[in-house]
Amino acid sequence: MKKLLVMSLAALFSISLLLSACGGGSKNDGTSSPSASGAQSSAPASESAAPSDNGAKVSLSFWTLFSGGDGDNMQAMIDEFNKTHPSIQVKNTKLEWGEYYTKLITAVGNGNGPDVGISHTSRLPDLIDQGVATPLDDVSADAGVDWASFNQNLLNATVVDGKHYAIPLDTHPFIMYYNKKLLRDAGMLGDDGKPKMDPGADGFVKFLTTLKEKLPPKVTPFALSNSNDDPYRLWWALYSQLGAHDVISDDLKSAQLDADKGAKAAQFIQDLYHKYNVIKLNDPDFYKNFQSGTAAIMMTGVWATGVWESTKGFEFGAMPIPKIFDRDATWGDSHTIILPTAKSEDPAKRKAALTFANWLADNGQIWAKAGHIPSKPSVFEKQAFKDLPYRSDYVSVADTVIFSKPSTKNWQIRDLALFKFLNEVWANKMTPADAMTKMQAEIQKVLDQ
Amino acid sequence: MRMTKLKADAQALLFLLPFLIVYLLFTVWPMIKGVQMSLYKWTLIKRIKYVGWHNYQNMFHDQEFWASLWHSTIFVLLTTPTMIILAIILALIANRNSRLQKFYRSVFFLPSILSVAVASFLGLFMFQPYTGFLNSLLHLVHMLPAGKEIFWLTETNLAWIAVGFLTLWWTVGFNFILYLSAMQDIPDEIYEAARLDGATDSAVFWQITLPLLAPITKTITMLQIIASFKVFLQIYIITGGGPLDQTRSVIQYIWQTGFRKNNLGYAATMSYMLFFILLVLSAIQYGMNNRKEAQMR
Repeated sequence: MKKLLVMSLAALFSISLLLSACGGGSKNDGTSSPSASGAQSSAPASESAAPSDNGAKVSLSFWTLFSGGDGDNMQAMIDEFNKTHPSIQVKNTKLEWGEYYTKLITAVGNGNGPDVGISHTSRLPDLIDQGVATPLDDVSADAGVDWASFNQNLLNATVVDGKHYAIPLDTHPFIMYYNKKLLRDAGMLGDDGKPKMDPGADGFVKFLTTLKEKLPPKVTPFALSNSNDDPYRLWWALYSQLGAHDVISDDLKSAQLDADKGAKAAQFIQDLYHKYNVIKLNDPDFYKNFQSGTAAIMMTGVWATGVWESTKGFEFGAMPIPKIFDRDATWGDSHTIILPTAKSEDPAKRKAALTFANWLADNGQIWAKAGHIPSKPSVFEKQAFKDLPYRSDYVSVADTVIFSKPSTKNWQIRDLALFKFLNEVWANKMTPADAMTKMQAEIQKVLDQ
Repeated sequence: MRMTKLKADAQALLFLLPFLIVYLLFTVWPMIKGVQMSLYKWTLIKRIKYVGWHNYQNMFHDQEFWASLWHSTIFVLLTTPTMIILAIILALIANRNSRLQKFYRSVFFLPSILSVAVASFLGLFMFQPYTGFLNSLLHLVHMLPAGKEIFWLTETNLAWIAVGFLTLWWTVGFNFILYLSAMQDIPDEIYEAARLDGATDSAVFWQITLPLLAPITKTITMLQIIASFKVFLQIYIITGGGPLDQTRSVIQYIWQTGFRKNNLGYAATMSYMLFFILLVLSAIQYGMNNRKEAQMR
């Protein structure tokens, strides 16, 4: 009997290990302790430029999910802001992007959330629903936010029930890159430095098959991954180009996948993989493939611009996704700035936070270094932005991004229903029509849960 | 007499206390909390409402749960026997008198010191198409025609082989060490007596070594089954559960439900189901051991 007890205790112990293993520590160090460092030393007299009520110093904690070049650019912007706004000090806490939302939601739930946070536009409805993001209209006028100064396509995606919930910082749409040298070798580069491509689906296929013929067999005509995000983004772009909008109904309650358009878009992409063989099958690293000059074109988000720029001697071009079907449209998402729910609301803090957020949007030329398109069209006119190459070639895309509808389940639908079956289509294991039927059912299942 | 025993117990408790507090607070209490959770609709930040047995009823109709449980079972069936047989073979090799004895011991155990992420990424690099070690090797010896690739990680059966093989290489060292120490515990006199009687090598192995390893084998089998049922990270890193969730383990599904679908209540329910299954397996194992011991007496 005693042995049985020991045995069950042992099992209990091992399973408890198992449970704790997938829990993951969510210790947060972002509690907003007003740092005393230099708080008293700054003279209130020098703050004439900064919007401050009574010279009291406001300290803000800011949680971000950026790494690499994005992370450096954001830090540079924060440093610049802190320098020019002595009355507001922003402290940046960089979190791992994969864990960011879980930590944010848990911390805000415990009352330990940051004063300022980042949210993707597509994730915003979920954060609003969970009570994490707050409406900004109470302080926006005070903080000098001019909603009309934003690109309205980006802004509208952050408005829910007539209330503004976020300051859009950028948009990062899905675009196309091309290797100028390889295109020139194949005689497919025009004198204007742009690809020579006939319009429409046939034109695009012809372009790729010609590249395949003219370039050595080692060269991939079109670098694209074979699963998850990027082929899905291409599918979303083409599906939207056919005139469809999102896979759910306007009331966000039921699955509404346009099966014909979805299947047509999926068929086109499946053919690129398996009929025309212009995409390398199961490419382990399509970024590297393009970066090392062994792929003629590639498609991904604009964030790659900064990566290619830092590659020595790499001659590339950037352009919107070609108009393959009826209208210009592409996939895209935005980084936005939110003010998470706080335990006790402090209007001075909220105002300072919004001032900071608005300043970030105004200074999009720094943020654009990574490749993102700034959210305020006025930034496009700044010399610092014009001096950045490539960006001006694709700023127009900001107007053609088709955002998802404001469903709280956007990410779940994408991860659990769309990726899953589209991946099978790309692997040639499922027909597009079958996949659409299954996706429709799966989306409904996610919505019902 | 009685007093001293009590005193000794009190002393022992004092020493146990630091661990006990942490254990009760961070292991036992969350487990009790988990039972409560499984009866609620519960998100990452708040308790929503009491749903009674709904989560449990839901689980019995949830095909994805049963599919992922089956995948974990496949993994158990795939790895448990291989993990035991290979460990015995390696222990036999390392237990022989040889100048390379130390070398064998360290080499066989070495992969076990890697973290799961390192081991999994090594696996990825091995099985990757175009640039992976395995396909390149097959190309080199002309077993795979040029221009053709085996997609180890995107075909369900091949993916199981790849993940199973990686896990075998990575974790067999632990079982190997257990077997090696058990072999060294077998008294030399028994072997000497067998040699004097003229027993062959294979007779020695089948009649002496293997039967004397039976107790440790039982322990290892149980530990291995539990460990294999808990498989998550290496599959998650290598295949992500794909293709079409065909290699998704039950732990991955629980994790997705809890932290991706924001449904901690249902995740807790499924965790308890897995707990129950492992408990039953342990009980069966224990029962079988007991009966055998009774017969031997």
